[in-house]
Amino acid sequence: MKNEFEIKDLNLFYGDFQALKNLSLDIETNKVTALIGPSGCGKSTFLRTLNRMNDLIDSCKISGDINFDNNDIYAAEYDVIYLRTNVGMVFQKPNPFPMTIYDNVAYGPRCQGIKDKRILDKIVENSLKSAALWDEVQDRLKKSAMGLSGGQQQRLCIARAIAMEPKVILMDEPTSSLDPISTQKIENLIDELKKDYTIIIVTHSMQQAARISDSTVFFLLGEIIESGDTKTIFSNPSDKRTEDYITGRFG
Amino acid sequence: MIISDRKLKARRRKDNSVKGIILSFSSVGLLVFASILIYIFKTGGGLVGYDLLISDYQDFNTDVIVNEVSGDFTYSSTLDDDEYYSNKWDVVLTDTKDREGKDIVVISYIGENSPLRDVSDLNSIVDSGFVRVNIPINSSVDSIILDDYDFIAFSKFGAETMVDIMNMGTSIDSMTLVKEGGGIRGSLITTLYLIGLTLVIAVPIGVFSAIYINEYARKNKLTKYMKTMIDMLTGVPSIIFGLMGAAIFIPFVNGTIGTSGGSIISGALTMAVILLPVIIKSTEEALKVIPFDIRTASLSLGANQTQTTFKVILPSAIPGIMTGILLGIGRIIGESAALIYAIGASIKDKVILKERSTTLAVHIWTAMSGDRPNFELASAISIIILGAVIILNIIAKILVKRVSKVSY
Repeated sequence: MKNEFEIKDLNLFYGDFQALKNLSLDIETNKVTALIGPSGCGKSTFLRTLNRMNDLIDSCKISGDINFDNNDIYAAEYDVIYLRTNVGMVFQKPNPFPMTIYDNVAYGPRCQGIKDKRILDKIVENSLKSAALWDEVQDRLKKSAMGLSGGQQQRLCIARAIAMEPKVILMDEPTSSLDPISTQKIENLIDELKKDYTIIIVTHSMQQAARISDSTVFFLLGEIIESGDTKTIFSNPSDKRTEDYITGRFG
Repeated sequence: MIISDRKLKARRRKDNSVKGIILSFSSVGLLVFASILIYIFKTGGGLVGYDLLISDYQDFNTDVIVNEVSGDFTYSSTLDDDEYYSNKWDVVLTDTKDREGKDIVVISYIGENSPLRDVSDLNSIVDSGFVRVNIPINSSVDSIILDDYDFIAFSKFGAETMVDIMNMGTSIDSMTLVKEGGGIRGSLITTLYLIGLTLVIAVPIGVFSAIYINEYARKNKLTKYMKTMIDMLTGVPSIIFGLMGAAIFIPFVNGTIGTSGGSIISGALTMAVILLPVIIKSTEEALKVIPFDIRTASLSLGANQTQTTFKVILPSAIPGIMTGILLGIGRIIGESAALIYAIGASIKDKVILKERSTTLAVHIWTAMSGDRPNFELASAISIIILGAVIILNIIAKILVKRVSKVSY
């Protein structure tokens, strides 16, 4: 068994406020890992440390190690662009760029300097097929992505992330703004994608975590209370607080 | 709750009277605007026309001489009833009336190889001889003296007789030509030059400043002060900018390009400073409405800050930036106080970037200053300026609508 991420003694501060406390965790390759916990427990913050999106926040300070591919991603000489091309991200609200569907998917590869039309065509087609969107949009690739439905937009965002051929895809509550049918489509898609990608998903829905994830991590007030095999956590949690949360006694 | 009929009525009366007061106050503004419009259209409306836009400001009033000829030309188009062609001189004379309704004869056509293309001005002599002039089309011909005073034609004879007499002679000793000036072509061209030059300077600086403040700069005290300063600049009266132009830009341009005194270039520099806050503000507004999500999405795909700014953010902001530029053009067309210093108020027919000139708005100032203010011309130019500003505002409104249609 191989680990994609190895996290050791991770602490994160927003100014004086400590958002993450002494986290240590291994994330396995080609598995779906669900991060659950009540609002404000630090799971989204944790997710964003994995592709260094927290760099955008000036007051954010981090200590500890996050190893990706056996390299410390917070080391001074580590290239953040390299990290982000290998660790893609899908956000809570679908956020396609205000340009055509084709340009949305081709954006990442273009930023890395790929200009050849045939290569881009291939990347766009493959990515959209992997995101189960190709059949719906293949005849309107040159139309604006803003005309798609919310669920389609979210799958486009997944396709956009896949186009970079990352190793990991981070998903921050990807279905929270979608209807049940779109949600199901995305859940099926996640099941497909885990063959090729390591997926880390933040979710508020216990059922979703139980349905799609292989392992689950339960966060509370910036700490990891329990982590392990999803079935074990849901059927036989070792910590009382985990059980209370899963059974809906708080959260 | 039960309310008495009397109270209800009293309340309605009060409501109506307040409405009435508000309405009458708001109509004052409308009335003033309408009366200004009515005044300028009544005074200057008759003068506005293509003719005003393309004609020179200076009067053309001179005698010319033409050397001996023996030509035989043909006229390819058909002549109207009041047009007469001279095959010897290759010109068409036309009977017409001037602005005051007097009968005059004008030169309405001068052939490509006509001897009248090569004439000398009797009134201006330099060492090497007479100075060449170009006869403007539609100059009125007062009199022609041919062949050592053998033949003389006056405009009162009419165009037909004049052409007959012209055909008898072989050289012109003196031909008196008059063309009334008062046109605004020079000021119009100056204004266009000024718009182009100002935008070339102000747009890149303004747009990049806004991008720096909004996208790159850390949100600290320095950027806060910068923003406040830019806000304050918008409120500075333009005459102060004009002073700055006179004190800084005119000597600067004189020193670098070698002009003397004000010029269109120093005017454009001054105008660019006036426009900067306008363009920075509108670009900033356009950048602000772009959701932060889009930026994080771009960065999460491995794009760097520059790629994010130029590939995603800037294209979305272009309609907003365009709106700012259009409003800026309106500001250039309407600006007068600052430009009196920076460009000058001398009306020119031949516009040169390195020389003094006059924009349309300053042309109004020039027309109105002096002993006999020319209300007619001032009103006519006002109509042209108002028209341009209204068109620009409509385009800006359409662009704003198009921006708000893009939902994120």
